Amino acid sequence: MTATNLNQNSASASGIRRFWPKPDTIRENITGWVFISPAILLVFVFGLFPIGYAFYMSLHRWRIQQGRFLWFDNYTATVGDWGGALLFVLSMVGLYLTYRVWTGAFSNAQSNTWLLKVGVALAMMGASLFMLVIGWDRMMGAGNTAYLNGLVYTFYFAFASVPIQLALGLILAYVLYQNIRGKEFFRMIFFLPYVTPAVAAAVIFRVVFSPRENALANSLLGMFGVEPQRWIAESRPFVNAMFGLNLEGFLAGPSMALISVVILGIWTYVGYNVVIFLAGLGAIPADLYEAARVDGASEWNLFRSITLPLLSPITFYLSILGFIGTFKAFNTIYVMRDPFAQGTTDVASIVVFDTFYKASRYGEATAQAIVLFLIILALTQIQRNVFEKRVFYG
Amino acid sequence: MADRSLEFSPTIPTVAAQQDDHLWSWRRLLNKTLLYSILVVAAVVAMVPFLWMISSSLMTLGETINRQWLPTTPQWDNYTRAWRDAQFGDYFLNSVIITGVTIAGLLFTSIFAAYAFARVKFFGRGVMFTLILSTLMIPESVIMIPNFLTVTGRIIPLPQLHPELPFISFGGSWMNTLSALTVPFMANAFSIFLLRQFFAQIPDDLWDAARIDGSGHLRFLLQIVLPISRPAMLTVTLLTFIGAWNAFLWPLIVTTRETWRPLMVGLYNFVQEGGTQTHLMMAGSFITIIPTLILYFLTQKTFTEGIATTGLKG
Repeated sequence: MTATNLNQNSASASGIRRFWPKPDTIRENITGWVFISPAILLVFVFGLFPIGYAFYMSLHRWRIQQGRFLWFDNYTATVGDWGGALLFVLSMVGLYLTYRVWTGAFSNAQSNTWLLKVGVALAMMGASLFMLVIGWDRMMGAGNTAYLNGLVYTFYFAFASVPIQLALGLILAYVLYQNIRGKEFFRMIFFLPYVTPAVAAAVIFRVVFSPRENALANSLLGMFGVEPQRWIAESRPFVNAMFGLNLEGFLAGPSMALISVVILGIWTYVGYNVVIFLAGLGAIPADLYEAARVDGASEWNLFRSITLPLLSPITFYLSILGFIGTFKAFNTIYVMRDPFAQGTTDVASIVVFDTFYKASRYGEATAQAIVLFLIILALTQIQRNVFEKRVFYG
Repeated sequence: MADRSLEFSPTIPTVAAQQDDHLWSWRRLLNKTLLYSILVVAAVVAMVPFLWMISSSLMTLGETINRQWLPTTPQWDNYTRAWRDAQFGDYFLNSVIITGVTIAGLLFTSIFAAYAFARVKFFGRGVMFTLILSTLMIPESVIMIPNFLTVTGRIIPLPQLHPELPFISFGGSWMNTLSALTVPFMANAFSIFLLRQFFAQIPDDLWDAARIDGSGHLRFLLQIVLPISRPAMLTVTLLTFIGAWNAFLWPLIVTTRETWRPLMVGLYNFVQEGGTQTHLMMAGSFITIIPTLILYFLTQKTFTEGIATTGLKG
């Protein structure tokens, strides 16, 4: 994009240059640098320099004042055990390869090796999961448990909210796209939560999800005859609080308090997904539908075979955006935080902030932030690899 | 793309669909009812927290505890109390100044930079542009801590402005000052990129004509480019407004005193300290939301498209 623009400009400029003497180049250079200097100065001081400096800080003992050089001790304190971390990363790679073998098994119908491939895939999955459990145990044994738990909560938060946001967004956009009266009005209403300042929305939801019996969320549950819940003040896993199920460890799932945060997240982002999906629906050529209708396709068939595949690039974009968003989410969770939730809503970004702001351990906090950044990068890359093949770009 | 979808809108009934209409009109009615009920339910879910907030903000403290749906008599007084006693008025004024200064500063730096990147040929242009764009990837949590050190004056000597000679001195800290809240946000890769894309589309003929009239880059920028770039500037202004108005994390760490505390931090502190005064809390929230709502309703199209295309949210 940049390259073509530059070429066009230089082509037309060289046409003019013949009439202008050399001193012009000097003037252009001076003008250019004077024009960009305020922006460049600020971007360097507050955007580029801090990246390098953050890394520098993460290699030191740094509690308000700079301490001695520690090599990677802050990172060790964060992930705990390098062997465990390596096992963990390998298990992720293993799961990814499992996925490749598994899809490979069904991609070629003629091949008679599919049974073998499925067997290999299952064995690989078992090995990966084993490595995952062992690696994670070793990390939890020696590392920063608050931070590692924070990563688990971040994982819950992302996987509980992003798929629901996408599904609801798609349904509402699809409904709105049918010849609906007041389409603009509905779109405006749906977008409103997204526009609301996050802190104010979180303050409102604190009251809605307050543990009082007559709070809004509890009155709604009451209408369906469900017992009132303690919501943001409930540290028990929601499967336990709602259904009395007793699960242990990772499988216990998010706490009731985290579920309250998830609901706020969904409420906020559905409208955004509706707007983007609507734009995508508008770009699908209508003659495709016409042709399929003439062939006698049902509405469901149209949706499944035309709408979904043609929307897949948008779904992909929104899911990446959603995952990055949930991994970086801070404001709403920080405001919704309740002491009675006993830290079960403290996702990784919150732990980073606490390490920095409350504990004043700057070196460790920067190390944690950098690890989180690397995880986000890796996840988006995996998502790209796994889903891009399924995305249909028309 | 957009034009095409308008032309061939699938809502135009086809022959098959018309026959379908005729045979299955009752079914269509049912279908429509279902569709509208989905939309209405979703709209109610989207709106209820707002209505709840407004209703609660007009109740007495007792009514918020005994939970009614509507206040018996609206307590408009709650808003004056929130504004004066809970200091939301001061915070509001702070937020307005912070947002205004940030927008002004950002427009100044990014208009000139974007123009240079789009239309001035200088040495190092490509490298500089790539360097600026590379900051888009980095999350705030990584750069926040070094920036905090910078702003407290522990890394570089910070300029301080004075009303008397020599007007500027170096050193000291920016904690609890307007500078700490605005200066770090006065340049941003995305705004520069957005404006640059717009400026680059302006036809070269205009520049040639201006040049023949003896105008230089500065005059061309101020008299020709800016007036025709109003839509792009409006988008940048709106995005900056949202960023500055909603900012929470950074103001939280650089304001330890009331002097420049913005609305979001004020609201958070009020919730932490006076968590039981639900009616005032809701009045405060409404005061926080109103400016954004007004802007949203006034510039709906630009607003929605601006945010939608960028995917940015504070």
